[in-house]
Amino acid sequence: MGDRMFDSIDEVQKRLLDQSYIAGKKIATVVYLATKLNKPVLVEGPAGVGKTELAKVVASAVGRKLIRLQCYEGLDESKALYEWEYAKQLLYTQMLRDKISDVIAGTKNLKEASERIASQDDVFFSERFIVARPLLKAITSPEPVLLLIDEVDKSDPEFEAFLLEVLSDYTVSVPEVGTIVAKHVPLVFLTSNDAREMTDALKRRCLHLHIDFPSTEEEVRILELKVPGIGARLVQDIVELVQRIRKLDLKKTPSISETLDWARALMVLNADELETELVNDTMMVILKHQGDIAKAQSELNALLQRKAAEKASGAPVAAPAQPAAPAKKSVLH
Amino acid sequence: MQKKLVEFTNLLRKAGVRVSVAESLDAFGALDELPLEDRELFKDALRATMVKRSDEIDTYDRLFDLFWSGFHDQLRQELQQAMGGMPEGFDLEQLLEQLRRMLENMDVGDMSELAKALLGMDPNALENLIQQAGDEAEVQNIRNMLQIGFFSRRMMEQMDMEGAAGELRSLMDRLREEGMDEDQLRALGDLLKAVQEAVRRAVRQYTERELDKQNHDYIERFRRESLLEKSFYNLTEEDLRKLREVVQRLAQKLKSIITMRRKRERRGKFDLKTTMRRNMANGGIPFELVFKQRKKEKPKLVVLCDISSSVANVSRFFLQFIFSLQDCFTKVRSFVFVAELGEVSQLFRDKEIFDAIDLALDGGDVINPYTRSNFGLAFHTFWRDYLSAIDSRTTVVVIGDARNNYNDPRAWCMRDIHAKAKNVIWINPESPGAWGFGDSVMDKYLPYTDIAEECRNLKQLSRLVDKLIL
Repeated sequence: MGDRMFDSIDEVQKRLLDQSYIAGKKIATVVYLATKLNKPVLVEGPAGVGKTELAKVVASAVGRKLIRLQCYEGLDESKALYEWEYAKQLLYTQMLRDKISDVIAGTKNLKEASERIASQDDVFFSERFIVARPLLKAITSPEPVLLLIDEVDKSDPEFEAFLLEVLSDYTVSVPEVGTIVAKHVPLVFLTSNDAREMTDALKRRCLHLHIDFPSTEEEVRILELKVPGIGARLVQDIVELVQRIRKLDLKKTPSISETLDWARALMVLNADELETELVNDTMMVILKHQGDIAKAQSELNALLQRKAAEKASGAPVAAPAQPAAPAKKSVLH
Repeated sequence: MQKKLVEFTNLLRKAGVRVSVAESLDAFGALDELPLEDRELFKDALRATMVKRSDEIDTYDRLFDLFWSGFHDQLRQELQQAMGGMPEGFDLEQLLEQLRRMLENMDVGDMSELAKALLGMDPNALENLIQQAGDEAEVQNIRNMLQIGFFSRRMMEQMDMEGAAGELRSLMDRLREEGMDEDQLRALGDLLKAVQEAVRRAVRQYTERELDKQNHDYIERFRRESLLEKSFYNLTEEDLRKLREVVQRLAQKLKSIITMRRKRERRGKFDLKTTMRRNMANGGIPFELVFKQRKKEKPKLVVLCDISSSVANVSRFFLQFIFSLQDCFTKVRSFVFVAELGEVSQLFRDKEIFDAIDLALDGGDVINPYTRSNFGLAFHTFWRDYLSAIDSRTTVVVIGDARNNYNDPRAWCMRDIHAKAKNVIWINPESPGAWGFGDSVMDKYLPYTDIAEECRNLKQLSRLVDKLIL
């Protein structure tokens, strides 16, 4: 095999880190097992925690080509597996008309002629006229590949049943051509946002990985890795706020990639810490619903107030309530 | 190890986690590839291969701790406690050192494994012995609390605890003969007694854990099942919270069923025109057939919810269903009433679903919820102000017990609504036997409903919702 597999779990972590992906022990374990056991991995978790990214970095870490199949409602076999190229078939018949006449020359009746043609029809139903879609591509690829089946939960249950068939023995049967067996078993990653529960049959065939939002420390590391040159203070502020926002009951929780976008945006604006105005102006990078922004506002105010107090006193202030108290008093007097 | 893993798999299954044979084989495969010393790794590997549902991860975590590790830690703790119970200022190290020296020079003869392990205070050896005894005593058959004593005694017999105690006593006698001084001898005696006591306690804990394993989740599951059938009239706060999640899950399930159903129905008649157009590129040869897609009508919904306390819970969960399944309907308008009637559709547009429901059940600022039910008045208001909201594609759902407090039922309003609407569905939390008795005017409205059903618990409700969407 031309690709470089992993020898240990630590190596998985190291090599994914080389690709700028911070993989926790859990993730690394599953990736390692997948390469060892040759099993597909079903990655579940909320949107925007880096599920697709994981497949991509594993592909480049082991040096395999990535073939991606994006699922959506209505996706069917002909779009995922293969399709006959009608137009090309038709064109060939047109161009080969003379040859076809040669073939049927000398036949006495229609029956004989059609039999002659039938004996030749594998010319028109050969691999030449098949348009390979991602699944077939992954199976017939001369070098080993990584197949990413993205957002399987969006596909229909029928398609899932069909996937099962492919994933269990990595063969595809095309009635006119025969069974195509994978030259190399591809590494398979399936991602799901839990929009619908996948069937047990599919789960049974896969290793299961659940990725959740990163902890504060992890997210800080991610930001530092992905946005080089960002100030430590800004990172702390951003992550703290985003983590708090995620705890709120929002329509759409900010994802890691949005945190990154935000950090980059703030970098461009030359910010080195969060300020009310700045945050208000850039909030739309992480929150995409008006209602969410209103909700997050109070979190933001609490945070900024506390920071202001910290700055004033020069020492960290623990509770956000403290700075508010003296202000109230002055009003009373 | 294999046996342990199979046992663990059985335990998971018992707790309601579905683990197939193929999956437990995967687990074996995974363990071959991994170093076993790392407990976290071991845990992750088993999880990745055997537990595939996010909501089962909690159960798995708890069971894992229960099964794989906890007992060892408990035993160690017990032993430490026993060793820590020595009198003030006494040097345990010194005593043990002396004991070791004396034993080297003595011919102790054959001592049983247990006696040796007790003397050495070796947690690993003790754990093994206890587990062996547990297997032999068939502790895994324990079923209830009352059997804890029985099985603990049986394990103790299997281990031959008495025999080991005897051996230790005679060892003490030998030590006395060899000239160990009385103080030390007494201390050693106390220590050994404490260790034996610790082991006894550990055995009991082992049995209790075994019982826990067998019973785990049993209660929880029982609760969940019965929640589905628990009457809406007597739900606790806790139940409400739990039911919310259950409804969410049911709604999700319904949704996927519905989309499948829709798809199957969609293929209609052969569409000649589009087929010809589509196949122009192929010289008019119809390679690709096109079928007309039958448009499945999504129902329009008008919901009238009685929010008086007797029916509030039915309304609550029905609303949750409807708004979780929003994309199965073209339009939903919701009204609440007790005596007055008001529209709360706006609430559901502006607020989160649970906030909206809570607000709606509290009158939603449009009606006064603290009045006595008057269905007649409510329907009359609807008839006067909102009858135009109903067309031939609208399904009207009324949730209420039709207890009208002897007011005029004004059934003619219902008649007009029924005449305009596609369907009228009445969801009543009372059983049909009570309809029309006392102040119930259900019988007056009955002629003007297409479906009228009793709905006292979640099971009935979810069946009804299913019917509604069909």
